[in-house]
Amino acid sequence: MRPILLQGHERALTQIRYNRDGDIIFSTAKDQHACAWYAHNGERLGTYHGHQGALWTVDVDPTSTIIATGAADNTVRLWDIKSGKCLKVWEFNTAVKRVEFNEDGSKLLAVTEKRMGFLGTIVVFDIKLDLEAEQTDERAMTITCEDSKATVAGWSFLSKYIIAGHEDGTVSQYDAKTGEQLDNTQAHEPDALITDIQWSPDRTYFITASKDKTAKLINARDLEVMKTYVTDTPLNSASITPKKDFVILGGGQAAMDVTTTSARQGKFEARFYHKIFEEEIGRVRGHFGPLNTVAVDPQGKGYASGGEDGYVRVHQFDKGYFDFTYEVERQVRAQQQQQ
Amino acid sequence: MFELATPSPNSKSRYPAVANNRGPTNIYNFERHDIRTTTTPQLLPHTHTSTSPEPLFKMSKAAGRADWADDEDLDDNVNALPPDTTTTNKDGTKTIITYRFNDEGKKVKTTRRIRFTTVKEVVNPRVAERKSWSKFGLSGKDAPGPASDTTSVGENIIFRPSANWKKDQKEEKPEAGSMKDKLKDKKVKCRICNGEHFTARCPFKDTMAPVGEEGSADVAAGPGDEPASVAGGLGAGKSSYVPPHLRNGGGGGEKMGGGKFERDDLATLRVTNVSEMAEEQELRDMFERFGRVTRVFLAKDRETGLAKGFAFISFQERTDAAKACEKMDGYGFKHLILRVEFAKKAQ
Repeated sequence: MRPILLQGHERALTQIRYNRDGDIIFSTAKDQHACAWYAHNGERLGTYHGHQGALWTVDVDPTSTIIATGAADNTVRLWDIKSGKCLKVWEFNTAVKRVEFNEDGSKLLAVTEKRMGFLGTIVVFDIKLDLEAEQTDERAMTITCEDSKATVAGWSFLSKYIIAGHEDGTVSQYDAKTGEQLDNTQAHEPDALITDIQWSPDRTYFITASKDKTAKLINARDLEVMKTYVTDTPLNSASITPKKDFVILGGGQAAMDVTTTSARQGKFEARFYHKIFEEEIGRVRGHFGPLNTVAVDPQGKGYASGGEDGYVRVHQFDKGYFDFTYEVERQVRAQQQQQ
Repeated sequence: MFELATPSPNSKSRYPAVANNRGPTNIYNFERHDIRTTTTPQLLPHTHTSTSPEPLFKMSKAAGRADWADDEDLDDNVNALPPDTTTTNKDGTKTIITYRFNDEGKKVKTTRRIRFTTVKEVVNPRVAERKSWSKFGLSGKDAPGPASDTTSVGENIIFRPSANWKKDQKEEKPEAGSMKDKLKDKKVKCRICNGEHFTARCPFKDTMAPVGEEGSADVAAGPGDEPASVAGGLGAGKSSYVPPHLRNGGGGGEKMGGGKFERDDLATLRVTNVSEMAEEQELRDMFERFGRVTRVFLAKDRETGLAKGFAFISFQERTDAAKACEKMDGYGFKHLILRVEFAKKAQ
């Protein structure tokens, strides 16, 4: 496969998102604008200007009308995807590290940093998926993380739970209506922060990536760790592929150590693991720095990775990827056909 | 991916307004699809033999008719240009012959062979609608199609998932390591005096020839010995020149002709009755089961890119080749029965 390189950012990438149809990619980086790209040919649709600090996060609503971005200038902004106009600004006390729309795009959550005496919080807003509508200033809910700040969070199936990953390697489950903490489990090492949470297509389970060099597949209902993927490098991002039972993990040496290591040792590769067998099945190299974010096309046709090197690399899977199956899988399929 | 190769001017026309006449689009309707048909002309380079994707060219306006500057000439000039001809070839390509005058007023005939491939793409109407959006922000002034300053194509990456990826990776590493180990134990040996130093630093390098060669034999046997006997009995007489094929006891020539190829042929299979649609990779996959395959050659038509029906497969080990020959002879592949035999030595 021949990757498309997107050079719209001058600084390290922070997050990449595909829209639901998989035709547009949104990217944010530590420079102060977000970019939208066509996934099929890498053409840049446009850029979103207005933030005054590094952008940490982006998410797109399921109808591809609005995107939300969170930044180090303590704001969350909503943008019209088509025109690049800023629709709404919410101000916070601290930087916003993660935003995510729920399944139907009626709610948005934002994870704020713990800093300057403010505790880390998860804030929920009601969203009107209409470009003309006035968005509310009011927060529908605020969850305060007293023990350990949340680094990432997301909505479970049917917007029933809010799942958050914390700095101390724990994963907690909140009731999405009341904000009450229902469960909390030490999924990763206590000193390793959780760097990413991404959902399965039906949002019943999710994958977490952590600095403790593992990624885990966790059930949203009871926070049971179903699978563990062990690597040899700190992970920054993990993603579940639709269509095929794989997961893609991205990571690499921490940015501060990069100058002392070569590309080979830095392990700047996207790693593919089999979702069920937990075995590594291949790697895709190409970045010159650690992978900060990995995103999979919801249609399962490709994936994009963003690195500390400021590049987004968009890959379209080729035939070998779709044809690959384990011997066991082939046997099962043959049996099913016979019946 | 090919859309990158055929940039701007075409891209507009290649995305016809597909979302038209659809009425209100149901946002959650995922089943609805549109079919778009586009035609891409493809130039067939005449010297092209490999299987890599053929470069795509956009049809320039000049392909269909002469330049406007030449139009006047056409009317006035006595030596009017012959009309353009388009012929369809057997293999589905088209030959287009155009004539024009160049800057010096000379007639130029351009022959192009073009293959038209129709690319059908099924696109969700919402996606099609989004493709027609105008750009904004930093890209606001960009022309349609990917801009070269923000989008480029990386080098090709071969990504083949494999169940025992870890093991493969480990196998590769020890090999490299063992090579290193081998070299570690190797001591420096002088070719002239067998001492533990580089030949270039040998104190005898100006006075002695390397061990085992003509000169050294001279030194060892004393100057009185007959030098002609060493040079294959042919160097007798005054002339010291020995033709290359007679050097080293006269066996050199034979070795040179046979040496490498002989070894190669020993483990090379000739596969015939191969399907036109076969690919080298498929053959490699089939034969790799029997042992390490060092080379796969599939003869292809240079213009159509179709296989000619025979292939050569070289194995590392002759035993593997023999096994493969036995098992694969008569194997059904793409509706044809393969015939596998050992390749005959090239004459």
